[in-house]
Amino acid sequence: MARAFEPVVISANDLFDGRVIYLTGKDEWVPHLRQAELITDEEKAKHRMAHALALSDRAVGVFLAPAKAGPDGPEPGHPREAFRAHGPSNYFHGKQAEEA
Amino acid sequence: MYHHTEFDRAFVVDRAQRFRDQVQRRISGALTEDEFRPLRLMNGVYLQLHAYMLRIAIPYGTISPDQMRQLAVIADRWDKGYGHFTTRQNIQFNWPKLVDIPDMLDALAEVGMHAIQTSGNTIRNVTADHFAGAAADEIADPRPYAELIRQWSTDHPEFQFLPRKFKIAVSGSPNDRAVVKSHDIGLRMVEKDGESGFEVSVGGGLGRTPLVGKVINEFVPVADLLPYLEAILSAYNSVGRRDNKYKARLKIAVQELGIDHIRELVDERFAEIRPKFDGTDQTILDQIAARFGQPTLVSGRSTADYDAAREADPIFRSWADTNLHAHKHADYAIVTVSLKKHGATPGDATFDQMRVLADLAERFGQGDLRISHEQNVVLPHIHKADLAALHAALREADLGTANLGLISDIIACPGLDYCALATARSIPIAQQIATRFDELKLEHEIGELKIKISGCINACGHHHVGHIGILGLDRAGVENYQVTLGGDGTETMSVGERAGPGFSKDEIIPAIERLVYGYLDVREDASETFLQAYRRLGPEPFKAALYPEKAAA
Amino acid sequence: MAQVVTIPTRPARIAALNDRYRHHAAIRVLRDALRDPELGRVAMVSSFGADSVALLHMIALVDRDTPVLFVDTQMLFPETLAYQQEVAAKLGLTDVRIIRATPAAIAAADPDGDLNQTNPDACCDLRKTVPLNKALQGFDSWITGRKRFQAASRADIDFFEEDPAGPRIKINPLAHWTAQDVADYIVNNNLPRHPLVSQGYPSIGCAPCTSPVQEGEDPRAGRWRGQQKTECGIHFVNGKLQRIQPAEAEPAEAETAAFEPVDGQPVIVRDSGFAADDFTGEILDLESDTNLDEANVNFREAELIRIAFPSFTDGRGFTIARRLRMAGYKGRLRAHGHVIADQFPMARRSGFDEVEIDADLARRQPWELWKRSSEVAPSYLTRLGRQA
Repeated sequence: MARAFEPVVISANDLFDGRVIYLTGKDEWVPHLRQAELITDEEKAKHRMAHALALSDRAVGVFLAPAKAGPDGPEPGHPREAFRAHGPSNYFHGKQAEEA
Repeated sequence: MYHHTEFDRAFVVDRAQRFRDQVQRRISGALTEDEFRPLRLMNGVYLQLHAYMLRIAIPYGTISPDQMRQLAVIADRWDKGYGHFTTRQNIQFNWPKLVDIPDMLDALAEVGMHAIQTSGNTIRNVTADHFAGAAADEIADPRPYAELIRQWSTDHPEFQFLPRKFKIAVSGSPNDRAVVKSHDIGLRMVEKDGESGFEVSVGGGLGRTPLVGKVINEFVPVADLLPYLEAILSAYNSVGRRDNKYKARLKIAVQELGIDHIRELVDERFAEIRPKFDGTDQTILDQIAARFGQPTLVSGRSTADYDAAREADPIFRSWADTNLHAHKHADYAIVTVSLKKHGATPGDATFDQMRVLADLAERFGQGDLRISHEQNVVLPHIHKADLAALHAALREADLGTANLGLISDIIACPGLDYCALATARSIPIAQQIATRFDELKLEHEIGELKIKISGCINACGHHHVGHIGILGLDRAGVENYQVTLGGDGTETMSVGERAGPGFSKDEIIPAIERLVYGYLDVREDASETFLQAYRRLGPEPFKAALYPEKAAA
Repeated sequence: MAQVVTIPTRPARIAALNDRYRHHAAIRVLRDALRDPELGRVAMVSSFGADSVALLHMIALVDRDTPVLFVDTQMLFPETLAYQQEVAAKLGLTDVRIIRATPAAIAAADPDGDLNQTNPDACCDLRKTVPLNKALQGFDSWITGRKRFQAASRADIDFFEEDPAGPRIKINPLAHWTAQDVADYIVNNNLPRHPLVSQGYPSIGCAPCTSPVQEGEDPRAGRWRGQQKTECGIHFVNGKLQRIQPAEAEPAEAETAAFEPVDGQPVIVRDSGFAADDFTGEILDLESDTNLDEANVNFREAELIRIAFPSFTDGRGFTIARRLRMAGYKGRLRAHGHVIADQFPMARRSGFDEVEIDADLARRQPWELWKRSSEVAPSYLTRLGRQA
């Protein structure tokens, strides 16, 4: 039953405004998924996760979000992550509006 | 509507101040997220996919024009210009910043509103019939009792950390518009030997395990209401399971221990608790009842304008046919303003629309506004002579949709577009169904048909009690929609049955279309509703319409 | 003359068994049960979950060839499957039988594997109840790890009971154990814990239906919460350990300013401030799941009753306190454990006199916070004439 490890990024919400944030390889929380560090190895994921929790004073609900490699950096690995990365589909709000 | 007392105002101001303090402590690090979470939840603050979400209580769905205007201010100033009315008579804002929420709570406190106990494992916002005080079929107005319960449950020291959330609904009519049997406690007003009281049922609920509430006491006199409720909560706090979140609701305790065991326990606790209430609550109840201003209903004013407008204007007539309900005074009507414009998000209102509704309630409706659990706004006391002018003003604000109770009047939860728990989207499915049937120009022909959509098994969209229920699932990372048939949320409550395999997001709209055409084919005549036809014929013809390839094979 | 043989009914046998073993410890029940002809062929059923290892250890001591049935619902956490192998190997269990629903049954009832999302109870039947009942058909009795403390619906289970699902006897050697007994046993015998326990799971079932999360919380946060929790009060900044600064603590009153929490010593919170424990008499301790209607203690006589709050989200203690007061208890009432400053007014209004916390919590939530939270707030209950 053990599944192959699927790539992840470390994500959370910002404590102050609730915005979706991602962790880069340089331990910075950033708003864009494509800047996040893509982790493809389970041991590393555990290690980075423990580290992220220790850094997490402005990050709430830190978790490993499914992702996949893309030409410009990580892309969402699940519909929920696609909505987190872009915003809802009924209004042009959230990240999609910030980036426009 | 209820006019708040100084005490009510002092209470909400105090709570807003406490929450400001808690936010500061969270930001300084004195509170961990684990410790802060239940505190923010007690004040209606969730963390959703994109942002925090603030859920504000509209107790028993009653709201004044001033309060509605303050919601408009909040939507405009701190959110993205709109609010979302929910299936529990609350309003949610989807984009507040945590650091702004104390200011938002202060703004609410100015008009006696709050977000207290709109989430968390505590007694939630008490809901009631949205036609209370106006409906022709009403035995008594349930709102004074709902307000009494609200006061008793607010900040109750024993019941802020229950095994799970706890919902109470009150109805004063034989026609149940408050879905009372799907609540942890459902109260139905009854009379016995000339005395007023309540039939009390417990252990109802939707969610993962849909169960119809069971009657625990056929008659609890009004004077015993609070001690009896306290006895139920005391028993639940002791025996409700805490080892599994999914088994923690009262309904599971009732199912596992049996209604007789629970009744025995409640009776024992009631004997302990009853002497602790000295009767002051009954005096307060009288004061509360007095603070619900009675509408001034005038007789003798001509309703000829109404009849004339019906003759002259087919658009008005269509709206009047669907969106009006019988008022206890024959010259008046209960108006439901649809927040389900075809293609829009069910239950959303912009700040402009909120202001228009507040103004119209003052101009035509004695300053009374209600929020229904079906995510619409009700103006309960409109003189028939004013209906045409009201309708014209509503149309100008894009609020004139004539679809109440029809296929496009859909209940939908926020779903995967916003909710951290959801497994699929709900809103786009509702939008597409409404748009499609509007194109077909079929919905008035179809007649009463309730579609309810939930984006996960927790069933916030009440799909179990939809004539057609749609449940969104996550199938290996792809949205999938399962259809249930024959649910009913009224006094003849039933839970819908699963029709068969699910549909992809591209297949679900054509499937619903086939299902509805199937119904039109089999109904006896236009007066037989979808639910009636389903109850007469059983699921087979409906399944055959949904799955034609199977039927052909 | 023909001899009359009476064969006792199963309920009668069960009553006799309960009587016979009334004062036995769990392991004696187990040892004797495996040999008792009344119980016939015995199997053990284990989920290899959070607490299972205690009973598995006992069965290995008594007879490691006992058949152990493990239901793999095919929805379990990979951690559970790995743990099952680890425990079986470590304890030397020789006859672990893995029970699954047949592929045909799954294809018929849950072809898409989403029954858990649409009808969780039907999913349990399909993947757990039906296969287990089938596997139990060759046995007369089976051993379970059920305990009274787990749920109110289990509050009166005994060592032996009738299996409502079939003509078998259920043996519950741990019926009288508390959560603490299990924890102690596991520590004392140095047994491996299920890996998810440290991640905040109080009980572990199938992956889709097990959640360690709190109301309103994002489930994705769950699996890592335990790690965060162990960090209460400390913080890493750029890799350096730092203690969190308490919220702008204003100068406290003279009497409490002098009080410094000491590690390992309780801090007592009263309306007058923090203090060391001044009570030297005998304390009556009540767990949060104490059933006052059955507790065989004369609480009226107790000078000080201390009610446990294993977690601040467990609000049972408030109702216990309230009921003690309603029953006329006049002595000192203390809440003990994980109680936070914001709950101080709830504790006081439910009948507690004081709260006992540890030094760490006292440092992180200094007296100023407790004081502020307890400042007199408007109370609807008082206004409604409900007496304390």
